[in-house]
Amino acid sequence: MIKEKAVKKTIKRHGLSILFVHWTVAISTFILIFSGFGQMPLYKRYMLDRLPGLSWVTNFSVTLSIHYWAAAVLILAITYHIVFHGIRRDFDMLPRKGDMKQSAQIIMAVFGFGKEPENDKYLAEQRLAYVFIGGSLLIMVFTGIIKVLKNLPHINFSEGFIYWITQMHNLGTFLVIIGIVVHLGAFIFKENWPMLPGIFTGKIDLEYAKRRHSIWYNRVSGKKG
Amino acid sequence: MSDFSRREFLKRSAAAGVAGGVALTGFGKNAGASDIVQVGTMIDLTRCDGCRGLDTPACVTACREENKDVFPEPIENIGNYWPHKKKEDWSKKRGLTSRLTPYNWTFVQNVSVEHGGKRYDLSVPRRCMHCDNPPCANVCPFSVQYKTPEGPVIIDHDLCFGGAKCRDVCPWGIPARQAGVGAYLKIAPKLAGGGVMYKCDLCYSRTKKGHEPACVEACPRNAIIFGEKEKMRALAHKRAAEINGYIYGEKENGGTSTFYVSPVPFEKIDAELMKQKAAQPNPKAPGFPGMPVNVKNFTETANGIAWSMAIAPVAGIAAAAGAAYKTMKGGGNND
Repeated sequence: MIKEKAVKKTIKRHGLSILFVHWTVAISTFILIFSGFGQMPLYKRYMLDRLPGLSWVTNFSVTLSIHYWAAAVLILAITYHIVFHGIRRDFDMLPRKGDMKQSAQIIMAVFGFGKEPENDKYLAEQRLAYVFIGGSLLIMVFTGIIKVLKNLPHINFSEGFIYWITQMHNLGTFLVIIGIVVHLGAFIFKENWPMLPGIFTGKIDLEYAKRRHSIWYNRVSGKKG
Repeated sequence: MSDFSRREFLKRSAAAGVAGGVALTGFGKNAGASDIVQVGTMIDLTRCDGCRGLDTPACVTACREENKDVFPEPIENIGNYWPHKKKEDWSKKRGLTSRLTPYNWTFVQNVSVEHGGKRYDLSVPRRCMHCDNPPCANVCPFSVQYKTPEGPVIIDHDLCFGGAKCRDVCPWGIPARQAGVGAYLKIAPKLAGGGVMYKCDLCYSRTKKGHEPACVEACPRNAIIFGEKEKMRALAHKRAAEINGYIYGEKENGGTSTFYVSPVPFEKIDAELMKQKAAQPNPKAPGFPGMPVNVKNFTETANGIAWSMAIAPVAGIAAAAGAAYKTMKGGGNND
């Protein structure tokens, strides 16, 4: 687990499954947002198709097909995520009692007020962000599946039902975008930078883990003995 | 984790698989069952003569009279669709009856076509076909267009934003847009939205009360027949057999509620219509539809992908179960 490096020691924070799910969700979500906005006639109005290489963006058929394929990839990743962690009983990312208070303490500490609480593998604010983004994505998937069914021949939902499903799908898009902005916004703060290598390589700085994720570090290192 | 058994793994796999599957595939939707009878029309081109003795065909006049209270009343100074310097404003051309506009939901096209050594002068009443799987309604970004259980496809004028996507995905480009009216004016009229889309609703409010659509009632030659959709289909087949003719609307766009019967192939009618369109001052202007034979439904490609999408959660469950088993057997708790 602990690996000697030329400059500094690192510790494995994420396995391949987490990296796979994170990047698959991230890339497919980005494609879904782009192709989803392409389902509105905005790209044509704002002449996005006149930019080099983007002539296809105003072709509703192309963007809808891309939307469907990206949705399939997202569904695969989310199913993988739920099943993988479900089998392993690995619920580190789920919010716990007191996470709101701890999140406030962490944010205050970043600005120099008070002391940051001891953290587990994930910060309290990460657990809350996970539920926000995950919940928003589930809204998108549920409403998206109904919208896909609606497009099939011989399936016709009532206008009231499909109207509200569509509004939820559109609203969910903005929730996901807000979630992504907040998620990326966390890296404005230098204190969070050492977490970044973890989502690319799976490893983070050992000293950082000891200092900031002490609960997790003690548990993992104790187990490994 | 080392005492993790195969039995425990299978138990957890089943529980997580069910949770993941239910979470992502949703519950079965039974949306098809209904006692409501679908309606449709049969348009017999051997009967329609375009009311040649009249300035305006009777069906067109009746439609305009029936829907006059629904026609748009736009604001005085209608802004352009920024950053473009244009807008779709038909309010100064309300009297136009030679094409589909927000003020004219049906019109008659006249074509002269040769077939089998004989020349046919045909009049073709045109309006929304009321498709079985209407792409206009399916892909409306705000789902403010819908197919009623009885079959007519309807636009909610109060909520329509006028993006005109419905017209783009309609094989006939039927819905017509009027700027300066509707919900977009209340949000950001300079930046998004373009007005409201209008088209035939097969006189839904009339037919709900047991009446015929206005165009049907007004037709002096019974060229447009309204009734139970399957009866109209049967009638179209019967009539086509009688005249050794052709049917349009049964297969096009995946099926519609409108069945045209013609003594000449619709490929020839479509070719003639395209010639007429090309000769117009602005051939790209909407509202003058052709009759492309066997035209595909916009959602067909996407629907093909949808079936492949069903594999995604199964693949996710299988891959996750394998990965979880591997990591747990290996004793890893930090994956």
